Amino acid sequence: MNIENTQSQMRKGILEFCILSVIRRGEAYPSDIVEEMKAANLNILEGTLYPLLTRLKNADMLTYRWVESNSGPPRKYFCLTPKGEAFYGELEATWNELANAVNTLTRRTQGLGETNTN
Amino acid sequence: MKKIININFHGRVVPIEETAYEILQEYIESLRKYFANEEGRDEIINDIENRFAELFSEFLKKGANCITDADVNTIITSMGRPADFEQDEMGQAAPASGAAGNSSSSNSYSSKAGSEQYAGQQQGAYQQAAEEPRRLYRSENDKLLGGVCSGLANYLRLDPAIVRILFALITFGGFGLGFVLYIILWVVVPPRSLVANVRKRLYRNSEDRVIGGVASGLASYFHIEVWIPRLIFSLPLILGIITSVFRNAWFNFHGDIYFTGGFGGSLFVSYIVLWIVLPEAVTASEKLEMRGEKVDLESIKNTIRGDMEGFKGRAEKMGNEMKERFQKVGEDVKQSTRSFASEAYPIARKTGSGIGHAIGVLFKAFFLFIAGTIAFALTMALIGLIFGGAGVLTFKSYILTGFWQNLLAWASFILLLIIPVVALLTWLIRRITGTRSRSHYLGYAFASLWVIGLICFICLVGMVVNNFRSRQHVEENLTLASPAHGKLLIRTTSAKADYYDHDGWFDGHWDNNGTFYNMNEDSISMNTIQLNLVKSDDSAYHVRLLKSSLGSEPRVARELASEIVFPIQQTDSILSLPRFFTVTSSQRFRNQQVVVDVAIPLGQRVTVNRNVGGYHWFNIDVNRRHFRWNSRWNDRQDDFWNGDSDDNWGRSYSWSTNTEYIMTKDGLVRTDKKIRNSDDGDDDERAGRPERKERVEKPERREQPERPEGGSYRYKGHSNKDGDSGKPKGHRDSAAVKSTAMNDGPGAPVYFLSALVNL
Repeated sequence: MNIENTQSQMRKGILEFCILSVIRRGEAYPSDIVEEMKAANLNILEGTLYPLLTRLKNADMLTYRWVESNSGPPRKYFCLTPKGEAFYGELEATWNELANAVNTLTRRTQGLGETNTN
Repeated sequence: MKKIININFHGRVVPIEETAYEILQEYIESLRKYFANEEGRDEIINDIENRFAELFSEFLKKGANCITDADVNTIITSMGRPADFEQDEMGQAAPASGAAGNSSSSNSYSSKAGSEQYAGQQQGAYQQAAEEPRRLYRSENDKLLGGVCSGLANYLRLDPAIVRILFALITFGGFGLGFVLYIILWVVVPPRSLVANVRKRLYRNSEDRVIGGVASGLASYFHIEVWIPRLIFSLPLILGIITSVFRNAWFNFHGDIYFTGGFGGSLFVSYIVLWIVLPEAVTASEKLEMRGEKVDLESIKNTIRGDMEGFKGRAEKMGNEMKERFQKVGEDVKQSTRSFASEAYPIARKTGSGIGHAIGVLFKAFFLFIAGTIAFALTMALIGLIFGGAGVLTFKSYILTGFWQNLLAWASFILLLIIPVVALLTWLIRRITGTRSRSHYLGYAFASLWVIGLICFICLVGMVVNNFRSRQHVEENLTLASPAHGKLLIRTTSAKADYYDHDGWFDGHWDNNGTFYNMNEDSISMNTIQLNLVKSDDSAYHVRLLKSSLGSEPRVARELASEIVFPIQQTDSILSLPRFFTVTSSQRFRNQQVVVDVAIPLGQRVTVNRNVGGYHWFNIDVNRRHFRWNSRWNDRQDDFWNGDSDDNWGRSYSWSTNTEYIMTKDGLVRTDKKIRNSDDGDDDERAGRPERKERVEKPERREQPERPEGGSYRYKGHSNKDGDSGKPKGHRDSAAVKSTAMNDGPGAPVYFLSALVNL
């Protein structure tokens, strides 16, 4: 059993959810997404983000529009489609369930541990 | 001191250090490889490049003169390298990978990049690679089939291209030995993701080239003088010139032509293949890679020797490993059978290791083998067609009518035959060069074009078959003047029997005894002629010509049949038949046939000259069931292909050339047999008479020696019997009457003999 592997498995599942949640708040530029996630202490490489965005876009979860930029070539700003919105809703529900379950479980074990030590 | 170049990067002019540019290129290329299986590969790379462009312009705005190595490396680090992506997705968290990944596996990427640090870093990479025990693996990231070749190349530190070419040579030269070897290695050797550790690669040298730069690329790879490979490649040409000079100088020089031909051909092909397969060294780093460290047998030997020294120590380790592995395989098998039992999912899906993997591999290999065989056959067919093409083209105009048929013919030829070959070549080149685009559009395009070709072909066949639907014949009857000695010689017009040595180049493509005597743009000479010897109804020789032809409808067929010109000449006892009849290109080939029935009167002799054997009969029958020929023809139509004119058709008799026959009641009989039993000849003379009459006569003759005087009585009774039958015999009876009358006298046997001789 490899701790890194488990960690990455855990990360992987929530990555899309996090990205979608950032985009949901408003049109987003990839490097902004990276910054925002970094600020939330969830690191992601830009090189990993682009393929993810493209995959989501190809699955009709996202659309983008070109925005002229004064510092280089036009930028792609991503936003959610209705389908992406629905997808996000489902993910959110699942996440809440999971978080609840995990929280309850971990709290219980903690509680058990506490009682034991007590 | 560094060279700065200006590049047009996503619509901006970016001044960039040459080395930095190379790092960038290398990086983009590595991304391209990494995302090779990704659907939106180009878009992803485009996005990343866009981001690069944006960051570049930010750098420049801040006042940088140009983009440096450091700038590019910074951006690459924040983007992440393919190795980091893997870790990001599979391994540890991102911040750690940024540092750790850069120092470990991504070393090879940066090592390729900076040309100054090239040697040093490369060294580092080797040392690093040498530190871990080297074992033979199949490469997972660089493979055409199973990654065996690139794994071997990695093990030997050679360019995968070289190992692949060698394997191809072993396979083609060793009757599939390489194929078997490959399969074994594929099954046995475990797969692993391998970091490229090539010291040098085989490139085409763009700087120093005559044709494709293959020779000089080879030369710089093996560190030999350029002229050596050049000489080897041009050897067949030189030898060809020398031999042709020799051949012209001494007329009977048949020296090493075959050697030169085969050898030269394979050299030529290998040059072309290398030209296609090898990439051209364009960038500085590629050129460095091309010259690289010296690779020769010595260095390969050293590599292996170094390996063998550590072998003893590793042997024990290997033993343990093997044990573990077998256990693992055992477990895998157990597991896979279990999973096979639980789910009906094929084990082949479990590509981890063990039995399932082996089966999968074997299936894939088998499929590829079959595909390869088909492709090979197709290519050969096409090559054959290209060489025989001119002949086929000539023949085409005899079959096809009208614009549409020609159009369809061309369409089906190009689509049905050229397309698979082009597709195959594209596929091969793609596989060899490693461009692996996942878009199936090209495949679909090829497939649909091929299907269109198939449809064209089916339409064409339908249209052509329609032109062969109806057979009609035209009959022509001739009566021959009786030859002087009661003997007819049938032969073809040409005195020389030179049928077997035509010099037309086209004939070489058909059997020498082929149907088409000769062919050119204007006309074909056909010899679908059949000679039948039949019995004449009266005492004269007759010839009946049945000219027949196929056509889209009876009218057309009859017209074509009547257009056949088949003049028959008789000069006394020689009956000359044309050697062939001509079908012009405007008439077109519709399986025109001529049947020559020569009717031979009883007791007359006939000889067929050997040159008549040049006739070759065949019959095209597209709708057998609808044929309604007259009864005589019915006998013949069953014969679809019959090159042998010796067959005995219903009423015609078998004959062979250059033999004298005599026509008897029972048919043709060889004259040499004939003389032995004259009694039969006796019967034969009256073969045309009704049997009833013979029944009467035979007992009479047997009784002859016993009761000579009763003959007249018998004769009378005989004539009475004739009268009783109520049917006067007419002229045919006159001879019989005469002969029976003669029976009374002692001279009767003499008469019979003399009658026989007179035949």
